[in-house]
Amino acid sequence: MTDPKRRLVDRLPKGHAVALLAFLVLVLYPAFRPYDTYYQTVLCITFLLGVQAVSWNIISGYAGYVSLGHSAFLGIGSYTAAILAERSGVNPLWMAPIGGVVAVVTATLLGLVVLRTRGHAFVIITIALLLSAQIIAVNWRSLTNGSDGITLDLPPWSRDIQNMPFYYLFLGLFFLTVLFSALIRRTKLGTGLVAIREDEGKAAAVGVNTTRYKVTAFAASAFFIGVAGGVYAYFLTFLNPVGAFTILGSVTIVLAAMAGGRGTLYGPVVGAFIVGIGQEMATVYGGSSSRVLLFGVALMLIVLFLPAGLLPTLDGWWRRRHTTGTEYQDQAGALGAGTLQVRDRALASVVVSDAVEAGAPAALPMLEVKGAAKAFGGITAVDGADLTVAAGSITALIGPNGSGKTTLFNLVTGAMKADAGEVWLDGTRIDRMHPWQRGHLGLARTFQTTRLFTSMSVLENMVAPLPDARWSTMLKPSVAGHEADRARELLEFVGMARFVSQPAGSLSYGQQKLVELAQVLMLEPRLVLLDEPAGGVNPSLVGRIVEIVRDLNRQGVTFLVVEHNIPMVLELCDPVVVFARGKAIAEGPPQTIREDPVVLDAYLGDEWRPPAASAAGPGASTDATQEVR
Amino acid sequence: MTELVQAVVLGLLIGGVYALMASGLTLIFGVMNIINVAQGAFLVMVAFFTWWLWRETGIDPILASVVTTPLMFGFGWVLYRTVMVRIRGWSPSMSVLLTFGLALTIEGILNITAGNKFKSATPSYFEESFRIGSLSFPKAQVYGFLAAVLVLAALYVVLTRTWTGRAIRASSHNPSGAALVGIGATSTAALAFALGSSTAGVGGSILSVLYPFFPASHYDWISRLLGIIVLGGLGSLPGALVGALVLGLAETLTATYGSLRWATLVFYLVILAVLLFRPQGLYGTRLREDVAA
Amino acid sequence: MSVRGTALVRRFPRAGRVAAGLAVAALLVTGCQQDNPNDSGSEGDGGGSDEPITIGISLPLTGDFSQPGGEAKRGYEVWRDMVNEDGGILGRDVKLKIVDDASNQDTVVSDYTKLITQDKVDLVLGTFSSLLNFPASAVAEKQGYVYVEPAGGAPDMFSRGFEYLFFAQPATAPHQADVFVDWITSLPEGDRPKTAAYPTQDDPFTRPVIESMQEQLEGIGVKTVYSSVYPADTTNFQTIANTLKNKKPDLIAQGAVFEDGVGLVRSLKQLDYNPKVLFQTSAPSNAGQYSDGVGEANTEGVFYTVSWNESATTPLNKEFVAAYGDAYDGAAPAEDAADAFAAAQVLQKAVEEVGEIDQAAIKDYLHENEVETILGPLSWNEKGEPQGDFILAQWQSGTVEVVGPPDVATTDTIVYPKPDWQ
Repeated sequence: MTDPKRRLVDRLPKGHAVALLAFLVLVLYPAFRPYDTYYQTVLCITFLLGVQAVSWNIISGYAGYVSLGHSAFLGIGSYTAAILAERSGVNPLWMAPIGGVVAVVTATLLGLVVLRTRGHAFVIITIALLLSAQIIAVNWRSLTNGSDGITLDLPPWSRDIQNMPFYYLFLGLFFLTVLFSALIRRTKLGTGLVAIREDEGKAAAVGVNTTRYKVTAFAASAFFIGVAGGVYAYFLTFLNPVGAFTILGSVTIVLAAMAGGRGTLYGPVVGAFIVGIGQEMATVYGGSSSRVLLFGVALMLIVLFLPAGLLPTLDGWWRRRHTTGTEYQDQAGALGAGTLQVRDRALASVVVSDAVEAGAPAALPMLEVKGAAKAFGGITAVDGADLTVAAGSITALIGPNGSGKTTLFNLVTGAMKADAGEVWLDGTRIDRMHPWQRGHLGLARTFQTTRLFTSMSVLENMVAPLPDARWSTMLKPSVAGHEADRARELLEFVGMARFVSQPAGSLSYGQQKLVELAQVLMLEPRLVLLDEPAGGVNPSLVGRIVEIVRDLNRQGVTFLVVEHNIPMVLELCDPVVVFARGKAIAEGPPQTIREDPVVLDAYLGDEWRPPAASAAGPGASTDATQEVR
Repeated sequence: MTELVQAVVLGLLIGGVYALMASGLTLIFGVMNIINVAQGAFLVMVAFFTWWLWRETGIDPILASVVTTPLMFGFGWVLYRTVMVRIRGWSPSMSVLLTFGLALTIEGILNITAGNKFKSATPSYFEESFRIGSLSFPKAQVYGFLAAVLVLAALYVVLTRTWTGRAIRASSHNPSGAALVGIGATSTAALAFALGSSTAGVGGSILSVLYPFFPASHYDWISRLLGIIVLGGLGSLPGALVGALVLGLAETLTATYGSLRWATLVFYLVILAVLLFRPQGLYGTRLREDVAA
Repeated sequence: MSVRGTALVRRFPRAGRVAAGLAVAALLVTGCQQDNPNDSGSEGDGGGSDEPITIGISLPLTGDFSQPGGEAKRGYEVWRDMVNEDGGILGRDVKLKIVDDASNQDTVVSDYTKLITQDKVDLVLGTFSSLLNFPASAVAEKQGYVYVEPAGGAPDMFSRGFEYLFFAQPATAPHQADVFVDWITSLPEGDRPKTAAYPTQDDPFTRPVIESMQEQLEGIGVKTVYSSVYPADTTNFQTIANTLKNKKPDLIAQGAVFEDGVGLVRSLKQLDYNPKVLFQTSAPSNAGQYSDGVGEANTEGVFYTVSWNESATTPLNKEFVAAYGDAYDGAAPAEDAADAFAAAQVLQKAVEEVGEIDQAAIKDYLHENEVETILGPLSWNEKGEPQGDFILAQWQSGTVEVVGPPDVATTDTIVYPKPDWQ
């Protein structure tokens, strides 16, 4: 049996090894052929494109926020270095890092404002920003010299070595940028960015501060481009505003990254070489005007036929040729696994639940919803609902479809903003907080249709949730240390340990449900909202889930469960809240609810109505166990 | 005072033409969530064709729209069926990239076939104006404005009074519901795209007499059009009209009283301000993805 | 990293090691010691008297400057044909390698870099417009190639301390309009234009011309009622025309390149404003293209300053005009074609006098000597700035007449005020 873990890990260093080898060849090249000025120049431009493509990949590949204005940072870096060099008389190369800093500051400020939008809005905004930068550069004459441009002094070194210093500068920057991108990807920041790309709402729900992540990524994607801009200005010796801020520059970056493989580490590297050398060949054989046509056609072809890019497509082809065996879920293991230890936060609630059991006066409820309301256009989904979940309980929320249960969940977790009402979590008012803040306070939720991050492995999915808001947590390596151990432990617990390195999208529906449950447990939640946990899971595993829930509950975790599987609800939960038409219509212990005529009319139906004669006893109805959907 | 009135006249006249050009873009977005960045390139392409037609046969450029409009309708329909349909359902960013590639391809082909030089169709009325008192109404602009109004009215009638039009509108509001009543999603989408690109037929023909153009002019036009439909509300035709008039006026007034250099910035500022603070624009509906976290 | 490092080495497959070895070997074999092409005695010269002299040129054949760029190309080519008919330079035929920079600054940089370092041309000649010549001349200076440019009179061009740069026109931008100002000054005070408007394109060449004119005219009491700079890509001049109509300047002096010059005239006509004097840079020098663009009747009375005149009796001018007419269907050359021809003449003379292709010697010669061209005698200071005067020209009855300075004028009549638009 081939070990899937080994295959993935096996591939990784090989990729790095090839890259390192290529790097060495490039480093040595000018030593052997120092007078190949023309080829060195082409490579300089290619390295520059590589710096931009790899940087772009951080925000647009990892996080999925496609920016069509990224070449603006190159222009910003160039102008910063050139203006400072002109005014101070210092060589622009020393000013290049400042260009990087200015680019980062600009990106941060812009990001804070602009990264509130999503989808098409972001793309359009980046285009508008790029073109605005061009107009500002042209017209702010006192700063940028307008269309006259800025002329820099010629480099002082001898004509004999020509472009070699630039070659090494660009190559060095390229290397650093790739290293930077690799480091980011390894950390929780990287995992979080991919999570945002896959499913931003879910990422927010598991504690990822999406705004902070996006702005950080955007700023990170600007730094090296800004520095490279400073070097580039010196390379050109002449800066003009129109040339520094062209859309074609941004399109080239996008083309390079997409051709190689957006979202991967080396994809943009490969793409930069393809596009950089390709465009030079096009200019040589077709004339400079053929570039536009070539880019247009290439962009269309890539989007239509190779949207994943070259490397992932080759990788997929390779995988199809060399399939590994299929793993099956460790059913026995799952059923046989022992109890799971809950830690930290949840333990605090143990004291509370003990006290409650002992009959002490009720402590603060874990969850309190007061007068929540939400309407979509003409439809009122939640209509002034009140709900209280006692700490340490397993409360059920049942009701017909369309009664507003999932919407209520969304209001509680912050996926939607309530039109009115308040939500309190253990004494803290949370209805104004972002979803991730609620996650950090100990609120977790699973979804009706599972929302895992399909392109990431199961293990990465497990370590994606962020338990707190600290910056240091964000920068920790994601798949390492005791986080990873804890993840494996949880996966074993649900019988999914063998699937650690499989992409989550390749799991079956039921398997995904189990993983999602394990995933939210990584947050060490105090209150877990379960949205139809038994749906799509085989009956014996339903029992296992019930066991897990009970076990966690004993250790202090509170549950609010939406379910249509009435027997499971009646067995597991107390109290039961019945929801209909956007508000609660009944609440009480399971037995009471079963017999409540209001509930029977609204939801359970006649099969559940106890027979008129008391002789039949309450047990008779359970024979007619039906799934009331 | 005359200067102001004249500026307003010029602004409104050009705004009408902008409205026509923007209508296609907003229609396409409204129905299939595709931002057709190539709309500017369509305009320039038609302008070149019209110019060539005028050069060879002497047909009045604005009247040539009788020819170019059905041609563009066919072009749009074929384009949708062969290319655009493949990215249906993909993220909007991808549609931007694809149509950007299309725009560059068209620009490249125009560079090769028509050459990268300024062209302008100059029929006899080109430099003349109607005069009312001390106000001048340049004839080219007036004819263009009239054509634009005519076509917009026709578009309105098609969308509200014909079955096809209603099908298109239904599809845009509720694709699955529309499918349930027998409206095929693909054919409706193709029709909508074709309709949208046919407005570029008229728009491009008018463009050929308005200003000199060359293959890379599409950048200027798409910036303007994006500003207009963002302001008016993505997907809203009345919004496109209002947005176009407002921005046509704003551009002319900024150029007259402010500085010509900053006049183009107006469009970008509008895009930024609207998308950040009121993403649905003046008349648009809020998309669910803006609401849900 | 150590544990991972050894794991890396262990996993590094044999195939990879072999590949690495081959790569290094390949480098060693092909590398050896390369010849330094910058050493004297390499391919540029000494290539036998049969080998043609290649001159590398980049021009804006497409894009914003395509009109004047195309004219420059014609000028260069007419020169090449004339020279080759005459036996070439130093007994060798002249070959031109002309590439298109699409009016784009980045492209012009890479064009000249490639021409010099990759194609290894013997000589280079400049491109059109200050915008493009700015960066291109820096490339030439970096590489130590003499750079004679036919256009590019912006003052900033010459403040960089370049030694290899030479501008083949009589004067730089700030002095171009001096002769026009002289004419205004020569009018009796009552006849002079009282008010003036100065719209100019945002171009490093047109701006200094107009700004210098404005300063001088203000100095003699002409009131400025309007002054603005418009972006290079402006195509709609109706707003400017509208404002001018309201300010009613007697004189409109526009810093135009070409399209914008035509555009403003059209808009002035559409909005029905007739200035008493219209002066434009560059645009009116485009002969037939200009009169086609604005309509022949509308050219009447338009002033411009120019570096060259068709009927001047400078050496080779008649031959140049005739050769151009033969090659291009009887058309009259535009100023840009003449400037290109003159730039080539300058280079030719220097090479012939020096006797070989030695960039440093050529540059020294030009700094120390005067060269006769179809524009008249040209000479340069140590910055590369020429030291001559421009000519004032005016369209009259569909042809161009020289109206100043008086010693080269072809006619005494000056059309003033300008007739209304037709």
